[in-house]
Amino acid sequence: MQIKRSMEDARFQGWVLLGPAILIYGVFAMYPLFDVVVMSFQKWNGLDPNRVFVGLDNYRFIFTSDPVFWVAFKNTVIWTIMCLIFPPLVGLLLALGLNQNLFGRGVLRATYYLPVIIASIAVATMWRWMYDPFFGLFSQLMTNMGFGMSIPDWLGDRNVALYSVFIAHLWHSVGFSMVLFLAGLQGVSQTLIEAARIDGAGRWGVFRYVTLPALTSTITIVLVLSVINSLKAFDIVYGLTGGGPAQSTQMLALWAFTQAMQIFDYGRGGAISVVLLLITVSIVVPYLRWTQRHEEAAR
Amino acid sequence: MTMNRTILSAAIGALLASCAGIGLASAQEITVWTLNFSNKQANEAMDKIATDFQAANPGATVTVVRRGTDDHKTALRVAAGSDKGPDIYFSWAGLGLGGEYVKAGLSAPLDKYYTEYKWSDRLVPAAASFADLYPGGKNGVPYTFKGEAVYYNKKAFEKAGIAEEPKTYDELLAAAEKLKAAGIPAFTFGGKVNWHVMRLMDVILETKCGAEKHDKLMKMELKWTDEACATESFAEMEKWAKNYILAPFMGIDQTQSFNLFIAGRAAMMLEGDWLVGTLTTNNANLDDYAIFPFPTGTNRLYGFAEYLYVSSKSQNPDLAAKFLEYFTSDAVQQETVGMFATTSPNKNVKYENLPAISQEWLEVFKTYTEVYMNGDQAFPLDVTTEYFRVINDVVAGNIPPAEASKQLQTFIDGRS
Repeated sequence: MQIKRSMEDARFQGWVLLGPAILIYGVFAMYPLFDVVVMSFQKWNGLDPNRVFVGLDNYRFIFTSDPVFWVAFKNTVIWTIMCLIFPPLVGLLLALGLNQNLFGRGVLRATYYLPVIIASIAVATMWRWMYDPFFGLFSQLMTNMGFGMSIPDWLGDRNVALYSVFIAHLWHSVGFSMVLFLAGLQGVSQTLIEAARIDGAGRWGVFRYVTLPALTSTITIVLVLSVINSLKAFDIVYGLTGGGPAQSTQMLALWAFTQAMQIFDYGRGGAISVVLLLITVSIVVPYLRWTQRHEEAAR
Repeated sequence: MTMNRTILSAAIGALLASCAGIGLASAQEITVWTLNFSNKQANEAMDKIATDFQAANPGATVTVVRRGTDDHKTALRVAAGSDKGPDIYFSWAGLGLGGEYVKAGLSAPLDKYYTEYKWSDRLVPAAASFADLYPGGKNGVPYTFKGEAVYYNKKAFEKAGIAEEPKTYDELLAAAEKLKAAGIPAFTFGGKVNWHVMRLMDVILETKCGAEKHDKLMKMELKWTDEACATESFAEMEKWAKNYILAPFMGIDQTQSFNLFIAGRAAMMLEGDWLVGTLTTNNANLDDYAIFPFPTGTNRLYGFAEYLYVSSKSQNPDLAAKFLEYFTSDAVQQETVGMFATTSPNKNVKYENLPAISQEWLEVFKTYTEVYMNGDQAFPLDVTTEYFRVINDVVAGNIPPAEASKQLQTFIDGRS
């Protein structure tokens, strides 16, 4: 009787339903996460039978002796700032444009979204050929326009390479922001827009005081996802430059991978991953809490 | 599909064996872990060798397990930490990646088998020399041996008025200058893949420092800041990058660089003997190209080797050695000539109907008895990464040569 009553309890049923997911999440996400933190205090090359506890040595190395860590850190910051500005902004503009009653709107929406479903490594390969300084699309275009002598080494010049990679990333990712904004725009009340127009608001006024506030939740989601995705930027950089030239496009996520999976220094790779995790948490969590408070106050 | 039916059967067998709580190896069974080569001929040849060995040794079973490069490296690391694993494994020779496994004790010294089977009598000395790189005895036998030399476009040399192949470094510089005057960049490299540009640094180091000092610098027994030749080599790198390499080159890879070479945009490439096959595949006229070893003046050939090592954890080291004896034998190497690499590590193999450029390679392999290896095979992995970075910074003009030596040495000194 007691068992039957327990089984009918909603909380019990909730735990039963959650159980498998929690188990899988624990084994495949939380345990590796915990192990990476532990590994960041150890020295291990994957060959030795024992992992040696080295305290903060890995952190001391990456902060004070690693010639690449701070370059990767700076690049990650620049990349994150660019990701916070450009994909959301361009995505919003595209969404506003494609929310109008245009001919072929559905086709255009699909076209702009299409790059999102292409694998990053394929995007990187495609853009690498377009950036070829001798035979690439951009070099040919510049030559045809009479700028043949000023063609930059798109992926080989350390002053240009990071931005070249970012343009490829923007092309690849902007469709995702666009779709989120398009979804958000469907929730903007037409009644409010009509009311604003009757009150004399122009296009900018409607956008500024009706559309934009209604998109607050969407903007929050887009920005948070942009930050998270930018901090773990890896595949597009790996495919286009491999972190070069001379590690000048190196990013924290890629450098953690390089340390762990190519140099086989799992301790240092783990330490870089932990730093990246802390940065992500320190940005995303306060922002989410601030947004939550802001939304609650607005209700 | 990376696993063929044989491997699948082996995997199922292994699973059943471990479930039953019994060891994988039996008295008559060995496992060979190797790469899943893009060259299908090499994979098929290894399968045939395994089958033929079984036929010649009734009761013996050879299982060949193939993986992608990264999976193979990971599997070896797992094997190093467990009791199970291969009896024979493929790896590169040298103190870099291959050396790490030897250092970790995964490879069993093979001195007694070298004596028993007289392997040194049949192996090309340059190819066999890598087995002596490690302390504690001879490790592994050569699977392939690859030399690297300068390929040049005969027409470009002719156009620039270069009548003879450069025999000294100064002659090479003079040739580069003549090519430049004729509007032809001397070399093409792909800077995106760090190891491609690194080759030029390796050969310049050999030239400027000499064999002994070069080896000691790579073994980190000498300080890069104390040896003037090290900084001088970086300065030479800077000079070549500024004046004689087809630019821009830091954003392109070796394939793009090769395309530029066969398009006649540069006169020379520093490449391995495998480029003959690549030239053929790309329908290039082999008669338009020839080779000469980079003129370092040390009488050593630039190259590297791939080896088959016997695992220290093998339950059947004698059978594993017997398999290697079979693999390196005159008959098997003759039968598989050209399938694993351009040339065989067995010096008794005969070559027929080869194009002129391949004949040149054979002469090169016969001439040189000593080898200096690629920097990324010589250095440990972390130092290799830093070596790449400083070379790239020098050729990109970001740091002066003296600073490059300093930064590399600082990194080496800071290793724990």
